Amino acid sequence: MANGQLIFVSGGVRSGKSAWAERRIRESAGSRKVYLASGQAHDTEMVKRINRHQEDRDGQGWVTIEQPLHLEKALPYIERGDAVLWDCATTWLANELYEGWEKGAPCADQPGCMETKWAALQNTIQNLQSRTKLLVIVSNEVLDDFIRDEMYQRWLGRIHCWIASQAGEAYEMENGMAQKRK
Amino acid sequence: MHIVFGGAFNGKREYVKKRLAGQEVDWFESKLPKSPAVSAAIVVAGIEHRIKSQLASGISEFHIREELQEMLAKYKDNKLIWVLTDMNRGIVPIDPLERELRDVLGRIYQFLFSEATEITRIWYGIPQNLKGGDGR
Repeated sequence: MANGQLIFVSGGVRSGKSAWAERRIRESAGSRKVYLASGQAHDTEMVKRINRHQEDRDGQGWVTIEQPLHLEKALPYIERGDAVLWDCATTWLANELYEGWEKGAPCADQPGCMETKWAALQNTIQNLQSRTKLLVIVSNEVLDDFIRDEMYQRWLGRIHCWIASQAGEAYEMENGMAQKRK
Repeated sequence: MHIVFGGAFNGKREYVKKRLAGQEVDWFESKLPKSPAVSAAIVVAGIEHRIKSQLASGISEFHIREELQEMLAKYKDNKLIWVLTDMNRGIVPIDPLERELRDVLGRIYQFLFSEATEITRIWYGIPQNLKGGDGR
């Protein structure tokens, strides 16, 4: 089976990228609308926020899969012909890079740790693409600023460049307007 | 004069290297060329680091700009390529030096943009032509 379409969309906070991505999924010919969420709730406000978004989507027939770490674990729940929205690469990276920090041993401090996770992510994205009708990857613009966390920002740049190179279409979201870059 | 502009880790240097493949290049990282150029093409990258240390040691924005103007005049017959990193779309820095750097960089970049004949913005490896050039 031919690979499904891959779309990359990135933008600032509240730029409308998620709503745009959801619309692309709704308008696609995917058999199910799947929301692959990387967000983790760290406080009650976050729990409420996540629940509210999920209820909104459930009402519109979405299937939500929460997979903050190890995206490959979501693969068995993806069906052939699904339209999948992955939200988002920035959150996933933070989760993976700092996994184990509470034990004093974050992945970021262990040689080769992130490299392994990155290889797994690339495989997972290609795997997702091979079985979905449409895969939309959402991310954030955080590289037009002073370097605050070099390892995080370097990885994010690398991930974004790779996703953009793999994508059939890539968009930069400016206040609700999708600028096509590819 | 060609400017290649974009956020950090977006693949700006890779883009320049690819475009200049097979050519003799003098590449300056965090410094400016001083002596007469050996190669036809000159790349100046990472001037934000140089300007930050200049500001930290009390060198004025006026002097920094003057130095750049002299450099542009000196190498006007060379193929000059700048790799400029956009750092000005974040929140206001707490550190006063970083605040100053942001202001100075913004004005210096504006000056360089006005002098450039070709400007390419790089967004995750994808070039976008902003000024002049052939849009490659």
